[in-house]
Amino acid sequence: MSVQNVPVVEALNVKKTYMLGKVPVEALRGVNLRVEQGDFVSILGPSGSGKSTLLNLIGALDKPTSGTLRIDGVDIGKLNDNQLANLRIHIGFVFQFFNLIPRLNARDNVELPMSISNIGKAERKKRAIELLETVGLKERMNHKPAELSGGQQQRVAIARALANNPKFLLLDEPTGNVDSKTASDVLGLIQKLNKEQHVSIIMVTHDEKLAHQANRIVKVFDGEISADMVS
Amino acid sequence: MKGIDVFRYSFSAIKLRKLRAALTTLGVIVGIAAIVALLSITQGLQATLTGQLNQGLSANTLIVMPSSGGFGGGGFGGGLGQGASSTGFSLYVNNTAEIATLSPDIEATVAIISRSGYVQTDDFSRVVTFYGVDFERYAQIYPTFRAETGSIPIPPQEDQIVIGTRVNQPGQNGTIFFTPGDAINVSWVNATIIPPVNETYSATVAGVLEKVGGFGIGGPSDTGVYIPIDKVQSFFGTEQCDMIIVTLTNSDNTTITNVSKAIADQFSNQVTVIASTAVLSLLTTVFSTIQLFLGGIAAISLLVAGIGIMNIMIVSLIERTREIGILKALGMKSRSVLAIFLGESVIIGLIGATVGIGLGWGLAVIVAQVLGSGAFSPGVSGNTSGAFAITPLLTPEVLLGALAFGVGVSIIFALYPAWRASKLKPVDALRYE
Repeated sequence: MSVQNVPVVEALNVKKTYMLGKVPVEALRGVNLRVEQGDFVSILGPSGSGKSTLLNLIGALDKPTSGTLRIDGVDIGKLNDNQLANLRIHIGFVFQFFNLIPRLNARDNVELPMSISNIGKAERKKRAIELLETVGLKERMNHKPAELSGGQQQRVAIARALANNPKFLLLDEPTGNVDSKTASDVLGLIQKLNKEQHVSIIMVTHDEKLAHQANRIVKVFDGEISADMVS
Repeated sequence: MKGIDVFRYSFSAIKLRKLRAALTTLGVIVGIAAIVALLSITQGLQATLTGQLNQGLSANTLIVMPSSGGFGGGGFGGGLGQGASSTGFSLYVNNTAEIATLSPDIEATVAIISRSGYVQTDDFSRVVTFYGVDFERYAQIYPTFRAETGSIPIPPQEDQIVIGTRVNQPGQNGTIFFTPGDAINVSWVNATIIPPVNETYSATVAGVLEKVGGFGIGGPSDTGVYIPIDKVQSFFGTEQCDMIIVTLTNSDNTTITNVSKAIADQFSNQVTVIASTAVLSLLTTVFSTIQLFLGGIAAISLLVAGIGIMNIMIVSLIERTREIGILKALGMKSRSVLAIFLGESVIIGLIGATVGIGLGWGLAVIVAQVLGSGAFSPGVSGNTSGAFAITPLLTPEVLLGALAFGVGVSIIFALYPAWRASKLKPVDALRYE
């Protein structure tokens, strides 16, 4: 297997059980999934289906209870906290609620992941400006999140996610908190990144219409993958 | 994450909550200021006292006093010493001759009779302490017994007296009351007969002493009035003396010990022999205790500040749980989260300690000035200004110690909140509302 063919995400019979008080809850009951480089995949499911759990696992925020989950060929179940943190540097997480740091302006927010990955100040400034230009917010880079609209915040969040040249972008309900016009703008940006820059995209949503914008839809229901189809 | 970026991030978090950070810092400032002020005043006081004692009491000097109530009963500092112990033992002026023969190491002896009384002219009256001494021998033992104006008359006429500089110039403001040759009435209340009688004689100021600046047990004092020993004996009607100063040919410890023992034996252990070295070491011990005590009290206030830091860090941790989740999701390691939180407390500790040291030093200077101005002078009558100048002393040890202590306390109390922040699981932290 050549390096090119390593899937960005590979799940083999992944299970995740939570303790809700004293009651064990099986959030994932054996998920098998393979996402190749350059893919644009939607993970679609209603709330409580286990898609958020899957999102957390793919984002290397959590480890599976059993089974194997490889991100860029690395089994995350075998990593310690520091190694997980290093892995997360290469995952472009875009949160549902943008999760920008309110006291930092747009540029500083985009610089933050690069300062975490020890990139020098001059270089990260240059790249942050480039990224904000890519998402069309160069002229707003000195504004704080509170001074930006929801769609603008979302685009800053995408720029931030791209900062460390991630293996893939992981988006959680990317249009869940913006109006439909902004949603289509954001989606256009995501599609453009996928097509032009070959960024792998994994988008988690409960919105069927949105999910169909991807090349492939993985439906999650009741902790299992109920369908895996080309859109 | 690089150290400088951690620091920058910590600082941005502090800047966001200016008032809260300022109040937390204030706690550290108060604690450090208290420590620095108290320690620099006590150290200054100790240095002043030690210096003055060294001046007033050379290392080869012994003081012999009837062993009654220690310093107080012996008339230390010019109390109402009667020169007699509670057991009825008394030292007499002519015991000096007896002591002088006890050891070849003894160089000189001088008896001191001290009494409270007052001096007056037509427009001047103040309470003073009279010291009856042999001018010649006293001047030999204490080089500070030297006239600034007039002279130390040797041998003195019966009516000649020598006054300390603060008797002449009580306000230390240039107003001088006497010039040599002036007449002065010397009075005391003779309470040994009933009813007590005011006894007075007319004396002449022969000389005004140079500023001594402090005090020593037996040594010249700025607030003393010195009368020839013969005159004092007849005036006060006593042969008893309050102390006998003994100087030695050398200041070896063995000499001091041997002579002290010989003197004590001579008087059947009814006298206390104090070596100046012993006084100094006692003083050092006392001051160490005082410093420990005061420093301890001040340290408690810093401890309270530390608890404040911990409190505020825990609040901050809870408020920023989500932020910590974001940082971790972006790939920040636990140790960087720990460093960010510790960084905030280090900044608070550094600023607090630096400002606190400055403030504490300022306080010490002000307190020293107020004390030195005589506003709180121990003189009961108000015009016997017994105040002496304290120069606050900020040693490098205290300075660096205060800085380290301030930052150290800040770090220690931030350890737990910072550790908790670093241990947050990203999934839980991100879910936190």
